[in-house]
Amino acid sequence: MTHAATDRDAGHEAQAAGGAILLVFRLEGEAFGISVEPVHEILDPPEITPVPNAGAFAPGLVNVRGVVVPVLDIRHRLRMPAAAPGPTARIIVLEHQIDGAPCRLAFVADAVEDVIEAGGATLDRMPEIGARWPPACIAGAIRHGADLVVLLEPSALFAPDAAEAAA
Amino acid sequence: MEQATAAFVQEAHEILSELEDLVLGLEDDPGPAAIDAIFRSLHTLKGSGAMFGYSSLARFAHHFENAYEKVRAGELTVGRDLVNLSLEARDLLGGFLALEGDVEASEALLHSEQTQRIVARIQAVTGEGGAAGERTAARPDAAGRPDAAGAMPARGGGPRRYRIRFRPLRDALRNGMRPDLLMRELEDLGTVALAVDAGALPPLDALDPADAHLTWLAELETEAGREAVEDVFIFADDAELEIEEIAADTAAPFDQALPDAGAAAPAPRPAGEAGATAPRPAEGGRGTGAARPGESLRIAASRLDEMMDSLGELVIAQARLGAVAERISDPILETVVEEIGALVLGLRDATLSIRMLPVETVFGKFRRVVRDLSAELGKEVRLVIEGGETEIDKNVIDRIGDPLVHMIRNSLDHGIEAADDRTAAGKPAAGTLRLSARQEGGEILVTIEDDGRGLDAAAIRAKAVERGLLPEEAEPDERTLHHLIFEPGFSTARELSAVSGRGVGMDAVRSAIDQLGGAVEVASRAGKGTRVTLRLPVTLAIVDGLRVRLGGQVYVIPLSAVEECVEMDRAETGRRSGRTVLRIRDELVPYVELDGVLGLAASGEVSRRVVIVRASGARVGLVVDDILGQSQTVIKSLSPYHRAIPGLGGATILGDGRVALIIDVATLIRQAESVRALLEREAA
Repeated sequence: MTHAATDRDAGHEAQAAGGAILLVFRLEGEAFGISVEPVHEILDPPEITPVPNAGAFAPGLVNVRGVVVPVLDIRHRLRMPAAAPGPTARIIVLEHQIDGAPCRLAFVADAVEDVIEAGGATLDRMPEIGARWPPACIAGAIRHGADLVVLLEPSALFAPDAAEAAA
Repeated sequence: MEQATAAFVQEAHEILSELEDLVLGLEDDPGPAAIDAIFRSLHTLKGSGAMFGYSSLARFAHHFENAYEKVRAGELTVGRDLVNLSLEARDLLGGFLALEGDVEASEALLHSEQTQRIVARIQAVTGEGGAAGERTAARPDAAGRPDAAGAMPARGGGPRRYRIRFRPLRDALRNGMRPDLLMRELEDLGTVALAVDAGALPPLDALDPADAHLTWLAELETEAGREAVEDVFIFADDAELEIEEIAADTAAPFDQALPDAGAAAPAPRPAGEAGATAPRPAEGGRGTGAARPGESLRIAASRLDEMMDSLGELVIAQARLGAVAERISDPILETVVEEIGALVLGLRDATLSIRMLPVETVFGKFRRVVRDLSAELGKEVRLVIEGGETEIDKNVIDRIGDPLVHMIRNSLDHGIEAADDRTAAGKPAAGTLRLSARQEGGEILVTIEDDGRGLDAAAIRAKAVERGLLPEEAEPDERTLHHLIFEPGFSTARELSAVSGRGVGMDAVRSAIDQLGGAVEVASRAGKGTRVTLRLPVTLAIVDGLRVRLGGQVYVIPLSAVEECVEMDRAETGRRSGRTVLRIRDELVPYVELDGVLGLAASGEVSRRVVIVRASGARVGLVVDDILGQSQTVIKSLSPYHRAIPGLGGATILGDGRVALIIDVATLIRQAESVRALLEREAA
């Protein structure tokens, strides 16, 4: 325990990293993690129905076992350039609360890497100038082997209103 | 018991809402049937209230009931005062109910100044002294009722005697019945000799104390009529009941009644006595109601929703099956697919019909609204309701109440004139508000019509220009002007009143109706009146849809909005003059390109087709690449990410498993209009 986090961060750590099981996926080579708990399934990208006038963040809909699910492009929210899904691309389907109501949604990852236990790892605070990602979308980072896994903050990452994500 | 209490609360709410209608109905027709119905409602509330721990409610209901007992006896005539008082008392009953059985709070409410004031007024009306006992007060008076009281048998002045045999069914106690209270209530009617027949009591080792085994035998000497005796047991459904009038001059031998009861077997119906046999009581459970036609079942709405969801999945699976069968093209398979199709359709209709409620359930509430509001505004308004039996999906019903209240308020506040103005204009002093519903194809039309002053087109125009909704030089026709009242932030009321006119009215109505996939239209003639028509889908869950193609994507247009389909004139497709009007037979129909409105790149296909839809009363063509066919469409609502996009009403899953978007015609056309207006403004 050598990290110099403040008390508040220590609390955060317990919540975000202490014993949490994370799903690790890649976007533009970077490793990102979200809690595996709300994740329903990981699928090969099905055909996406584009939604006209929907904007770049929520461009389309997919059919996941009879449920119509919006597909989000979190690359857009993380200020990465748009890209067509490659051969290793997967969609991650999860349950998320929006204004207290459960909403099933999906997002595309370049590749899904691993499920890791973040038990012993310590949560580092992301220095604000260390990336151009909106700070509200980032919960922190942990070291996993040689990798740095960036933990995402779902409430801002998936917020329907872009202003909320930037806040 | 918990569940039984919940059932009581629900029933009580229903009774209260029925009571309101009944009381309001008295103003037009104070006939004995209505008065009886009110009396029974109150009696039921009182009885079951006491049974389920709502004793304050019951005690208050008792006073209320007394008043109607007097009315029933012809000692009291129905007037506006009584109606007003009854409405207040009804609302107060609702207040008791809202306390959810909280004894202390109920007690406090019972003794509150408000309650006591109403009680005092009721007692003033009934001529009862404030000190009168609660239960006994009215009963002795009842002897004085004239025979006009209706269903009661003609009788001499003297007391009458009844022999009553009351046998609760085995589960009655579990369902909350309190035979002891019923017997006490009998005692309020007169002198009672009571006996209990324990003949059906099983041996101790087989005894379940929660079962009802006793039969109550009572001999009642009373001044009240048979009806009053029956009323005691009015809510004791799960029991066998026999009431027999016996000669009044039989010596009043209480002791004779007892041996009679003791020798239970030869009593009126021997069969019932010994027979703790299972099948009979089960049959008798519904008592007199067993043969009641149209008996109904109470189901939680959530269960219906689940059923609807499953049905939706089934319809989608069926579409997939159809697509597969088409590919395999096997005649035997096709027969089965067809058969399943027919069955699913039948199941769909049956399921939808379960969710249907008569629109009266929402209309009924407006009697009170209109009455209170017209009193508040000092206007005289007659409410006419037509087509209340028209059925609409419960989910639609639940969501049209507020918009309707808004429009009714508007009509009363701005539409219908004060009596003096009306007389001066040669109209009857009392205004008429007509609320009607009817089905037309897959749509329900609900209209709100008043015979008031109509919309002021000039005032609307001025306001629209002021608000920037209309260019100064524009000269739109009257219809277009009238529809401006649905624009956000529009209100022509010169003075804001408490009733309406904050400028949030009609646009809120329109957006509520849009959300339901419906449409609003208004027609008005100056000095004659205004009619607003709501076009509502019969159901929200499944619609018939027309599948169209735009490029590689399929969209679904609700068939209810579609009037016809035509080929797009090739010459039109290439037209660059900016004219976007088609000639269909003798009519000119404006058109928009669906891909253009949706912000998609033009497909560039040349042989296109046009779907003519009706939106806000006008015909508009939607140009698409192709028309694929029609099918049942299960509507899935859009997530918060896409909900606000104009022109989209939902999504559905096609037979091949792809997702298709459902077009919302009303918002689509408005979107097209606003895009056009924007272009015009830029060009100017």
